[in-house]
Amino acid sequence: MKTPPGPSPPPPSPLLQGTLDLLILRALSTGEMHGLGIARRISQITRGAFDVKPGSLFPALYRMEERGWLASSWGESENRRRAKFYALTRAGKRQLRTETAEWGRVALAIRAALETP
Amino acid sequence: MTRGGPGPEGGRGGREGALHDELESWLSLRTDELIAGGLDPREARRRALIELGGAEQVKESVRDVRRGRLLEQTLRDVRYAVRGMVRSPGFTAAAVLALSLGIGASVAIFSVVRAVLLRPLPYREPDRLAVLLHRGSNPTSPANFLDWRRESRAFAGMGAAEYWVPNLTGAGESESVRALRVTAGLLPMLGVSPQLGRLFVSGEDEPGRDRVVILGDGLWRRRFGADRGVVGRTISLDGEKYEVVGVMPRDFDFPVFWAKGRELWAPLAFGARASSRTGFSLRVFGRLAPNATLAAARAEIASITAGLERRYPGTNRDVTVISLPEAVVGDIRPALLVLSGAVGLLLLIGCANVAHMLLARGAARRREVALRSALGATRSRIVRQLLTESLVLSVSSGVAGVLLASAAVRGLAALAPAFLPRVEGVSVDPVVLAFGVALALATGAVFGLLPALDASRPDVAVALRQGERGSSSSVGRMRGVLVASEFALAIVLLVGAALLARSFLGLRRIDPGFRAEGVLTLTVSVAGTAQAEPSRRGGFYERLLESARSAPGVRTAGMINHLPIAGDIWGLPYDIEGRPAAAPADSPFATYRVVLPGYFAAMGIPLRSGRDVRSSDRSGAPGVVIVNESLARRDWPGESALGKRISFDSEDGRPLWRTVVGVAPDVVRSSWTEKPEPEAYLPYLQERNYLERPGSHFQYMTLVVRTEGDPAAAAASLRGVIAAQDPAATVSEVQTMSHVVADATADTRFYLILFAFFAAAAAALAGIGVFGVVSYAVSRRTREFGIRLALGAGRRDLVAMVVGESMRVALAGSAAGVAAALALTGLMRGLLYGVGARDPATIAGVALVLAAVALVASWLPARRASRVDPRTALQAE
Repeated sequence: MKTPPGPSPPPPSPLLQGTLDLLILRALSTGEMHGLGIARRISQITRGAFDVKPGSLFPALYRMEERGWLASSWGESENRRRAKFYALTRAGKRQLRTETAEWGRVALAIRAALETP
Repeated sequence: MTRGGPGPEGGRGGREGALHDELESWLSLRTDELIAGGLDPREARRRALIELGGAEQVKESVRDVRRGRLLEQTLRDVRYAVRGMVRSPGFTAAAVLALSLGIGASVAIFSVVRAVLLRPLPYREPDRLAVLLHRGSNPTSPANFLDWRRESRAFAGMGAAEYWVPNLTGAGESESVRALRVTAGLLPMLGVSPQLGRLFVSGEDEPGRDRVVILGDGLWRRRFGADRGVVGRTISLDGEKYEVVGVMPRDFDFPVFWAKGRELWAPLAFGARASSRTGFSLRVFGRLAPNATLAAARAEIASITAGLERRYPGTNRDVTVISLPEAVVGDIRPALLVLSGAVGLLLLIGCANVAHMLLARGAARRREVALRSALGATRSRIVRQLLTESLVLSVSSGVAGVLLASAAVRGLAALAPAFLPRVEGVSVDPVVLAFGVALALATGAVFGLLPALDASRPDVAVALRQGERGSSSSVGRMRGVLVASEFALAIVLLVGAALLARSFLGLRRIDPGFRAEGVLTLTVSVAGTAQAEPSRRGGFYERLLESARSAPGVRTAGMINHLPIAGDIWGLPYDIEGRPAAAPADSPFATYRVVLPGYFAAMGIPLRSGRDVRSSDRSGAPGVVIVNESLARRDWPGESALGKRISFDSEDGRPLWRTVVGVAPDVVRSSWTEKPEPEAYLPYLQERNYLERPGSHFQYMTLVVRTEGDPAAAAASLRGVIAAQDPAATVSEVQTMSHVVADATADTRFYLILFAFFAAAAAALAGIGVFGVVSYAVSRRTREFGIRLALGAGRRDLVAMVVGESMRVALAGSAAGVAAALALTGLMRGLLYGVGARDPATIAGVALVLAAVALVASWLPARRASRVDPRTALQAE
């Protein structure tokens, strides 16, 4: 098999465990969207570093819905396709705040750790 | 998930369908995206599919997530439910007790019913086996059997069996064995193979070839140490040598009715008896021919016996054919069905009780549920949690019920008297058990679901404001209906129990005609010993009686061939002097008793007139007989029987007359409640059958002694007395007459105990039901009571109001129960004695008792209503 011509993009990093939930919550914080939209949005806000595959996206969405963070409903996409839209519940918004704060603390701690000579 | 739109949820396949649709939707969106990026549609679709990475895999991962969640939530619900149960131990105990009692009792009874009524008999195609009975339930004669077997085409095979109680001697102490003589084809006809050796073969029931024997498993283990080499060995029965040819399997039991527990089988060789039409000793069994029906066999036997009756008048009347399973359980079926009904009622009461407890609790928890709902729990989540709670309750009850059932089955098997066939080895039936547990789960599910759905209705705000008071009236009504039903069911059970109790008291009041207290009986057989010689038999029993009289603790003693109730019943036709001899079929019959002097005194039977037999009434002296009042009344109404003469046999064509020298009162003959029949008591020393005839059934007598103290204590010294006369004589059936009498009423007592238990449980559960509902209602209406008190209502008025309300429910239930009892107790008629199935006094009494229960059960919590402090009550909530 021949390699396609041209420079290939850097391979997306594997997602850290637990990060996906936070990214989904963040992606939805601007409003409801369907599964593919969430994946696109995550790719966009992480500047292409994370490409979420359906195999990990949908189990995460269902899990989060079961926990009461997300609510879903069927609607119509921008190009008039039927799609299931997800939105944050009140619990989901609370979770986003908690996890964001938590993540900030962890990130600071790790940076501090890495920068210590 | 409240936004509208034509969602596929709940459509095809529910959530699974929704997932499928979502993945489809993702595919089309992604394909659109790729087309927009410049790919051609087919390539775009292909790329999108690859990215999806296999739709099935995605679905599987989603399912994993869900399963994990479900398990985790369920575990949490169960933990929560258990904590809740522990927090309210009273409620939990009452509910678990009610349900486990119902499950335990009904599983136990239904297990017995299935074992006794429904388990097939352990033979090949038992439904094709039939019994031929003469004159209702009696045996028939050898000539009849041989004729039937020869002429019948509807039966592929026919065999006969006869009682035999031989003395087994050698290899340890001699023993009376319960055995059976059978025609050679009988055992093979059953289709059961021996565990060792073989069955009898054709021709072994001819005289001379009949010295072979088959052992039962129990006898083989007890007497021969389960020795597999026993086949081919010779054993001694009644002093004759028999070769063991086989051993039957452990669970083999034949016949299964009329003579249970036989342990030995030998061929039945008729010899000269083959032409006898008057000796009725055979039970006849047949296997239907492959294409014959029972009805066809009945018709055929009817025509065969009609022909025989024409040729030999009086020998073939009233011959019936019934299937063997029917013969085994026919008598017991109605009783067991009534018991099943009773226990079913108890189970229903248990379920009703738990149901209304769950309803009450569900209503009480409305506010808690509303709160959780406001905090974001979905309705399905709340319903699932409440449902888990009620299921935990029913599972615990199920487990307790199973434990109870296995204990109860053991108890029943021990308590069940001999009349209950096939109850040996009964165990908890897995099918019945599954049914009982399923019912418990269903109760938990249905009555857990109702209040859960009710409590989790969306109008959260209303529920929060109203709190417990807001429970819907439909649930309240249902609780009323449930309590009323409990009362109705309890009335039916209590009426049944009360009718049985009255029957039992009636039975105990029957005068058997003898005084059972202080009497010990022992059956002494000389079969197979030197004392069986005709010249020695009479002397042996006379000497034995003499020495028994002087044994320590013995006040008086006598002997009889067959004890009343416990013994056999033999009938004998007789002629009356001065009246023309009747045809054999029409000659009068009397129960044949043979006695040695002292029997009447020892049994406590005071002669009405005349005298007892004496030792001078012996061969050679003028023949005498004692008759009972029934016989005297039938043959000489209005006159004295004393001095009249009757004849039971003849010599050289001349009747041997016996003079009636005494008249005895009627004594209970075989079953406790049957009406008396004519009986005749012949002196042993004048009775040639007993003095001379071969056959072990003429070679035993029953010693009856009246003792000073405890009759059972005299048994050992009497055994010594018998052994001193002849150590080879065997002693069996050592029992007190009180025990015999208790056995005779054991069936009614057995049903009474069970019914009394069910009825007490039912009344208690109904009481708990009322108590629970009233307590709950009182606590719910505290505020209302406060207002009423504040407005000037008296405390007594409040109590009266609460009690009155619950009494209305209880009385409505009781009225329904009385109607049901009137309709149902007719089924018990066969179990009752001396009381009508619809005895008004009994029903009224029961209704009063239950009304009292309801009164107390509602008065206790109602008192709390009157203690309400109006100020506190009005401030509450």
